Amino acid sequence: MIAFLFKRSLDLLFVLFGVSVLVFLMIRLIPGDAVEIMLGANTEITPEGLAALREKLGLNKPIFVQYWDWLTAALRGDLGQSVWTGRPISEEIVQRLPITLELTVLSLVIAIGLAIPVGVLTAYWRNSSAEYLIRLVSITGVTLPSFWLGTLLIFLVFKLAPGWQTLGYVPFAQDPWGHLSRLVLPVITLSLPMLAGLGRVLRSSLLDVLNQDFIRTARSKGLAERTVLYKHALRNAMIPLVTVIGIQVGYLFGGAIVVEQVFAIPGMGRLILGAISERNYPLIQGAILLVTMTFVLINLLVDLVYAKLDPRVEYA
Amino acid sequence: MNGRWFGLLAALLLAMGWSLAQNPVRGGTLQIGADASPSGLDPHVATAFASFIVTGQIYEGLTEIDERLRPRPALAESWSVSSDGLTYTFRIRSGVTFHDGKAMTAGDIAFSINRVRDTKTGSPIASRINLVKDVKATSATQLVVELSQPFAPMLIELAGIAVMSEDYVKAGNDMQRRPMGTGPFAFKEWVPDTYILLERNARYWRQGRPYLDALRYNIVPDPATRQVGLASGTYQFLPNIDPSLAVTLRTTPNVKLITAQDLAYTLIGMNASRKPFDNPRVREALNYAINRSQIVQAVYFGNGAPAGPLGLRSWASPQGAFPCYNTNANKAKELLAQAGYANGVDFGMIVIGSNKTVVDAAQVVQQQLAQAGFRAKVEVLEQGKFIQEWRNSNFDTFASINGGNADPDGYLFRTFSTGGSTNVFKYSSPTVDRLLNQGRTTVSEEARRPIYARLQLELACQGPIAHLVYGTLFSAARENVQGFKPIPTRSLIYLRDTWLAR
Repeated sequence: MIAFLFKRSLDLLFVLFGVSVLVFLMIRLIPGDAVEIMLGANTEITPEGLAALREKLGLNKPIFVQYWDWLTAALRGDLGQSVWTGRPISEEIVQRLPITLELTVLSLVIAIGLAIPVGVLTAYWRNSSAEYLIRLVSITGVTLPSFWLGTLLIFLVFKLAPGWQTLGYVPFAQDPWGHLSRLVLPVITLSLPMLAGLGRVLRSSLLDVLNQDFIRTARSKGLAERTVLYKHALRNAMIPLVTVIGIQVGYLFGGAIVVEQVFAIPGMGRLILGAISERNYPLIQGAILLVTMTFVLINLLVDLVYAKLDPRVEYA
Repeated sequence: MNGRWFGLLAALLLAMGWSLAQNPVRGGTLQIGADASPSGLDPHVATAFASFIVTGQIYEGLTEIDERLRPRPALAESWSVSSDGLTYTFRIRSGVTFHDGKAMTAGDIAFSINRVRDTKTGSPIASRINLVKDVKATSATQLVVELSQPFAPMLIELAGIAVMSEDYVKAGNDMQRRPMGTGPFAFKEWVPDTYILLERNARYWRQGRPYLDALRYNIVPDPATRQVGLASGTYQFLPNIDPSLAVTLRTTPNVKLITAQDLAYTLIGMNASRKPFDNPRVREALNYAINRSQIVQAVYFGNGAPAGPLGLRSWASPQGAFPCYNTNANKAKELLAQAGYANGVDFGMIVIGSNKTVVDAAQVVQQQLAQAGFRAKVEVLEQGKFIQEWRNSNFDTFASINGGNADPDGYLFRTFSTGGSTNVFKYSSPTVDRLLNQGRTTVSEEARRPIYARLQLELACQGPIAHLVYGTLFSAARENVQGFKPIPTRSLIYLRDTWLAR
């Protein structure tokens, strides 16, 4: 177990390094830099003026030098400063990350919490009209793009309950009720596709398990159907579900980018998207590094959960 | 109560309500929905619209441009111009203080103008005042500006130069991050991609202004979110919105539209250094193929006017002066054949993707051009990529939107003079160059008029830009937002007169 954790930590470092190089190069491949974005289209500027502005931001140095400067500083724990506001990037992230984490964790918990009953019900009531209804809803849930669903919900709530504030973000400490009421729509938007996907995975994996010999054995030795379902079938059917959850968490982060944009929530997604569109290089690098780290750690967690669910899984 | 008395009472009550409504009230925060986050807040460098709507409240210039696009006194109380048009003497307003409490002097103004002129600053405004030879503060309240040639738009250009505190800049403050000026609102806080907060400047020299306690620019990139935000009252003011959004908001309760003529215009730019648009006949043919009124209807929902090279009402020649504005696909084909392209032409058109109006207009233009043998391959680009291609003249044609200037020289010279700083078309015409120089160095307005009329004729049909449409400038506000007046340059100076009715 210890050896396994050690090996995975080494993997983590390797992944982080690879991602940092990749992101560093990729964002510089996007045409246009911070200076050009600042000036905008149809602005008069001499080549000397352009060079002077680039020099101030350190964009005139060779790319290797820029990377070396960034890497050595990052290893010392200094992720640099945001190009235009000058605030330390670590401070920027510390402020935004909790907002996105709250949004994604809440969506995840709700999606999993509802996916289990949905999966069980659809597996048990196979071919009933209730199952067709749930399947219809879940296929719709998977296929609806979240930017569309989010906008639709905003308009719907505005028509039906105009007093309900749905946009923006208020800290919990400042106004707990306002905080939660603004979270409802984003969480629905984010969790619905995931709920639908997870429910379907659980249904098919449960159907597989229910057809296996040991279930028949369990039933024939007279166990209550509840025990068969919860102690034997569900536990085995959970393994594919956990794998899918691990992958879905990554998508959840991607989905948060869209949802935060639609609902004007100042989380990590807005931060990264804004940073990319204004070519705020140090901010993109710092933020992506952190997101990568979170993603790798979650995958590690998923592997550990396997062992808990299935004692046959061993780590070496 | 009989009817007559009731009527009188009602009239009295109405009058009372009316007079109450007419009296501005102090206080409140105006929640603004802005579509983009600014890249820096140094007005000498960051001139893009997202920066300008913020810095325009923090800073002021010697002059300011009013709603009729005339310069009027701001930090300068008055001025005189020598008879040769080369020396401007400004009397500087006394009793004006910066947000940090220090008094503003002529020295600060001289410093600010010179900061713009300094090549190390990298200011896009520098070339606008390149005829300035010397700036001197002769006393705390007198400033003398010497020019190397007479320059008609001088007073208008000075409105665009924000006055900074010399001490504050020299103390090493980062002007992109911590702006500080003499304007009605002072910088308070900037949370990137979330909001910018400005606070009322209690020492502002216009007595009793501003009325609002604070301005909060909420950054809301999604147009649907801005729309619902305004409808539900989360935001109270959306400056300068797309015509399509204006049409949707027109019927929203408790929301009003504030309109003005917009100086910004949509355009198709043509690269005069590449085939086939190096040929003036091809450029003329393209103009014949475009139906501008159709674009006004389809893209601007009727809120706009076909554009000639100048949008300023006082300077623009009537559309009838330009023969190519009578749409005629056969004439276009004929011209193309004369230019040696009897089978039509294939070319690329890049489109700035950040502006919905432009993207819509490009699609309509593409259809119109197809009928005259112009086969455009339209490519909508992300803003950063578009700007790079534009600056490097790496296009056959492009579709974009340009902001306008209050003086005709402000747009025409840099765009059409040989080697002009935004002449990305690589257009060069000796006649146009001669007229442009004449226009800017002639000070009398009467004498300038015929020059600019000639220029418009030269440029309208065979120039490198097919001007499409001048739109209507729409801002949307909640009903209780009072006192705001729009200005065609899109400047928001009247936020200082804006107040919130209870």
